[in-house]
Amino acid sequence: MKYIEEFLKKEKPSGYYNKLLEELGGLNRKFGAFNFINKQISAGFPMSVKDNICVKGMETTASSKILKGYIPPFSATVIKRLEKEGFSILGKTNMDEFGFGSFGINSETPAKNPFDETRVAGGSSSGAAIATAILKYHVAVAESTGGSIAAPASFCGVVGFTPTYGLISRYGLIDYSNSLDKIGFMSRSSEDIRTLMGKSIGKDPADTTSVDAVLNNVSKQRLVIVDELYSKIDKNIKSSFDNTVKKLSSAGFKIEHLSIPEIDYSIPVYYIISMAEASTNLAKFTGFKYGLKVDDFSKGYNDFFTEAREAFGEEAKRKILLGTFIRGASVRSKYYEKALKIRRAIKDKMSSFLKDSFVISPTMPVIAPTIKEAQSFTPLQNYSMDLLTIPSNLCGFPSISLPSDYLNGLPVGIQITGGQFEDMGLVSFGEEWEKSFKYNFKYNLGDL
Amino acid sequence: MEDAEFDRLLKVCRLKVPAKQREKLKKDTDDILRYFDKISEVKCDDVDPAFHSIDIPGQYREDRQVKFEDVEGILKNTKTYRFFVIGPKI
Repeated sequence: MKYIEEFLKKEKPSGYYNKLLEELGGLNRKFGAFNFINKQISAGFPMSVKDNICVKGMETTASSKILKGYIPPFSATVIKRLEKEGFSILGKTNMDEFGFGSFGINSETPAKNPFDETRVAGGSSSGAAIATAILKYHVAVAESTGGSIAAPASFCGVVGFTPTYGLISRYGLIDYSNSLDKIGFMSRSSEDIRTLMGKSIGKDPADTTSVDAVLNNVSKQRLVIVDELYSKIDKNIKSSFDNTVKKLSSAGFKIEHLSIPEIDYSIPVYYIISMAEASTNLAKFTGFKYGLKVDDFSKGYNDFFTEAREAFGEEAKRKILLGTFIRGASVRSKYYEKALKIRRAIKDKMSSFLKDSFVISPTMPVIAPTIKEAQSFTPLQNYSMDLLTIPSNLCGFPSISLPSDYLNGLPVGIQITGGQFEDMGLVSFGEEWEKSFKYNFKYNLGDL
Repeated sequence: MEDAEFDRLLKVCRLKVPAKQREKLKKDTDDILRYFDKISEVKCDDVDPAFHSIDIPGQYREDRQVKFEDVEGILKNTKTYRFFVIGPKI
């Protein structure tokens, strides 16, 4: 279903946007989807923007206290491109601070799942997924470093698309990890993802890592299940996934199991690289230029800087400590350089069989945990939840997360990964999937 | 990690944390580094590191020198403290 096309064709009653804003305010208080709602919206297709993507004149905090009050004087390239095409900003969505989290709870306002508010919405693009799940005519601009689009999309029952690294300009994104960050989208249908991609990709002189590419609509009939990932899935998810695979097999797909021993190391490799890069990116928040300002100039440089950094949340501090340590001269080759080599090995291995197949897996290894359970997880337990989304993100491969089942009323998703620049092949897969599987939504705000 | 080494790391990172949080962060750091040590099992000395997930040739911007005319105008937006000039925050 093309929600964008349908919305544009339909007559909007007078006061449509005011009514939408009013209803959204109530649900936002319940689920914590938005950090900021744009009450000025009065035309265009509603689009939300993750709060680590800059929008001119709108407070952009990446859900961090250290950026409170930061109002960018410019918009990210992706936002400029979409605004030109008739999309209007509905607001800035909640997220884990700087993208540091898998559950959407590392934020001043922990995000809640629209299917069960005692459960997490997933992260770090938690608000983007909630907004997509509650608003009928809406798309979300989100961002993924290690699974921050796929995880919340899966927990909230929406489509989450993470493009090939570099296809969408990162200019205007508050970096978490430069070599891993990708701006992508969430929507209620794969066809809307196709529309968004068509209007936002391409080289941007302001981002030297952005690329121009010809996107082929590749079609593949071979789906690969990676044994090392499959063996670590919760049994309820495994049973649901097996049923999905049976359906795909009946539809003509050839299913194969493969082993990639190196993939077992993808979690430590991902966290080493991302922490090393995050610790340098966070150094720019000094309490002086962006957001929070420390006014006591009589302090020495170290005290001034140290006072400002008290505003970071605990996970940010953990990443600064570990990232700084592993970049140290005495251990750099043991951790950081080794991780970069293993990334290459995993990428080469995956590339070899992605030539004629897609990889399929559940998106998350568990159903959405309760907020209480997630708050009790150790950092390592948290990191291990990303095991299925990290390999594609680590290697810059595109992936799509599609709702595939509902267990006790809670959505679960499948993730399809393609080779670099095979983005549209994944979108086509989603479009085919949606012909036979109907998505459920509990809310349809803004229906016409 | 020894206590002294962890305290030095906190100082290098310009982080000051309460005692209880320090203990937690130290334990987490030790646990996570032990977990990271797992990568030493992989033999890949002859593999080139992948600094990026896609191969991007190095790109440099041309340096351009331009004359900025409104020096007095830009200073109207600043404060001074001792011998420093303080610009407005964004």
